[in-house]
Amino acid sequence: MRSRNGNFNFSLRLCTIILFNSLALSASEYLISYKYVVKDATLYNETLLVSKAMTKCEGNPQEEFILQNNSEENLKKLISKNPEEFLEYIHKLGLHVNHDEKTINLQNSYTTILTLKTTCFKVDFNDNFATIAPLK
Amino acid sequence: MKYSILIATLLSVSTLFSADVVQTTDAIVIQQTNAELAKVKAQLALAEQENQIVTQELAQREEELAAAASASDAAKEEVLKENKTIHISVVGQGVAPMNTYSPAQAYALAKRAAIADAYRAIAEKVKGVRIDGQDTIKNMMVQRSTIRTYVQAMVKNADIVETTFKEGLCEVEMEILISHSDFAQ
Repeated sequence: MRSRNGNFNFSLRLCTIILFNSLALSASEYLISYKYVVKDATLYNETLLVSKAMTKCEGNPQEEFILQNNSEENLKKLISKNPEEFLEYIHKLGLHVNHDEKTINLQNSYTTILTLKTTCFKVDFNDNFATIAPLK
Repeated sequence: MKYSILIATLLSVSTLFSADVVQTTDAIVIQQTNAELAKVKAQLALAEQENQIVTQELAQREEELAAAASASDAAKEEVLKENKTIHISVVGQGVAPMNTYSPAQAYALAKRAAIADAYRAIAEKVKGVRIDGQDTIKNMMVQRSTIRTYVQAMVKNADIVETTFKEGLCEVEMEILISHSDFAQ
């Protein structure tokens, strides 16, 4: 038979486990890649790919970004509500620059490709905001 | 006879007086010339002193310049060694496409293109450009002239300082702070 103190400890442990599990349930991992192509000073193509990670990602969360959220649990919808802020954040994280310029018989043309290679992001959804951080 | 003797004595006295006057004038001239010579000598001495001072100053300046040049070389090394930051500022240009639905869309697309151009400019400044050139000449005439340039880099933490949009052209001023540790990663 358990003592009163023993029961208290047991219930405390149970409560903490439930609390941490509930917090962990709202956290998820997403794979995000971004690419845009500029041809002769004009934006030619822009792609932002977001998908839920099907396997667990490794690494520690880096610079995090907070997006306003209205109880949304879908990252795509959340980003589509604040696309400019999110793209600015992606630019800050770092993009690969690939520039190819040709001058044939004094006529110039160029293509610049900016790419964020597929990166795993940890996303924590809360009631009023969502926290996004890349895992490295 | 008396008168003649008197005249003779007068004449002799007058000649004596005149000789004294000449002597006194000669002495004054000599004194003046001596004074002028002394002045000239003093001026020469001053000029020599000034020359010495100027040569000393020139030597000092040369030494200072040499020291500054060596210090700048040392500073260049310090930038790489001691994680000091380098500030780079560029301007990127982008044009809105012809088939846009609204001015806002045109602005957004032009800005994106300008950002890409600014990133390219930063990459060129920091990492450099690879250049290939090829000219085809036939019958002493240039048939085809080709220049290809490549830039490949990774740019992060670049900040947009200012954006302007005028007559379909968007200009983005961008800056970046770079330290040695950025390259070490």
